[in-house]
Amino acid sequence: MVRLKSRYLLCEVIVPDRRHLLLLDDRAVAASVREAVARVHGDYGAALCSSRFSVKYLNAHTGIVFLRFPKRCYKLLWSALPFITSIEARGQSIACFLNCLHVGGTIRTCQKFLIRYNTQQLHRMLPKCKNEEEKQQVKKSILKCTLTKGNRKGLDFPSDDDED
Amino acid sequence: MSVFMDLNLNYTTDKSRMRSLIETAAHLGFSTVAINHVFEPTAKKKQRTCCLCGNTCLCLPQGRSRPIRVLNRLTVVMSDSSHFRPNAAEYRGFDLLAVQPTTEKLFHAACMLYEVDIICVSVTEKLPFFFKRAPVNGAVGRGVVFEVSYSAAIRDSTRRRYTIANAVSLMESCRGKNVILSSAAEKPLEIRGPYDITNLGLLFGLSDADAKDAVSTTCRSVVLHAETRKLASGIIYTMKSCTESSTPAAKRAKPHLT
Repeated sequence: MVRLKSRYLLCEVIVPDRRHLLLLDDRAVAASVREAVARVHGDYGAALCSSRFSVKYLNAHTGIVFLRFPKRCYKLLWSALPFITSIEARGQSIACFLNCLHVGGTIRTCQKFLIRYNTQQLHRMLPKCKNEEEKQQVKKSILKCTLTKGNRKGLDFPSDDDED
Repeated sequence: MSVFMDLNLNYTTDKSRMRSLIETAAHLGFSTVAINHVFEPTAKKKQRTCCLCGNTCLCLPQGRSRPIRVLNRLTVVMSDSSHFRPNAAEYRGFDLLAVQPTTEKLFHAACMLYEVDIICVSVTEKLPFFFKRAPVNGAVGRGVVFEVSYSAAIRDSTRRRYTIANAVSLMESCRGKNVILSSAAEKPLEIRGPYDITNLGLLFGLSDADAKDAVSTTCRSVVLHAETRKLASGIIYTMKSCTESSTPAAKRAKPHLT
């Protein structure tokens, strides 16, 4: 059975100042990726990007993005991502870069990785908690991280989950 | 989970910037970084102190339990053969030694004779010489690696062309072995994650396995090579446990010719 396969790239947007993260939206990220691909790979890259590239999910609080690329050429398009130095959003230019965490064939595998990754982040935050109440909150969030069938519960984290 | 290293972070006198640079590298997953002090002999010769910010920044790299390891590195930009004096006393303070030759004769001498760990391929200009197979194979046999740094490519478009051109011609002569990719980052926004750098290696002409090695195994072999270079020059190298001094020799893949 012929099936159109894609690769989903799980990336994290890293900015020096966390408040700028909230200004991001998926169209801004998509525009900056397209522009970087056109800059690095020219017309060929821009053409490859036009068919099946999209931003599937963006979490402005944690800076996690899911990008979808076609399977044939995902490595070429991925190689243009390190050249992104800023993202234009709401009239402001936010200096940032993308760090790719995981490549998966389906959104579900990326989700599973994201849940493990977020659990690790919470574990790393636990020793840094300043008081007991924060510790309890972090522990509760860790216990809440499960992928239940059919819903993306694990992805909705409280916004205090990575304050390191 | 392999060990990723970034062996070229430019030294700045601004301590908070250095600290945020190291913290970003730790967040991205690098387990070892090296602070690079660039030394140009034509400038006024001044001995640089190589002490870091107290080494109190114990940031944990992503997915690891030990804090990030910070090494010292010296890069000598050579335009004349008298600029690099082997076994000079000042070089003892640095863990890694690198040399950046600017002429063909110096490149040949650096590959075959000089006791260095890393030979930097300059990315800011078109190389005035071509790489010949003979010195490159000699360097590979001795355990010396070639370094390509990528942050100039991120900053600037013309530098990007020079970087890719020089890197591709290097890969042709060395066939993808003994290469490391590192950032010459001055700001925390110029470092990239290890998987992104592996992908950049594909752009430079490396194969998948070689590109991943360029960030992990080859870097590790450079660090071990540097340790054995220190031992071989006859100074007493104190270590915490006496069994550790014998492991670098056993773990090395290639024989080291003194």
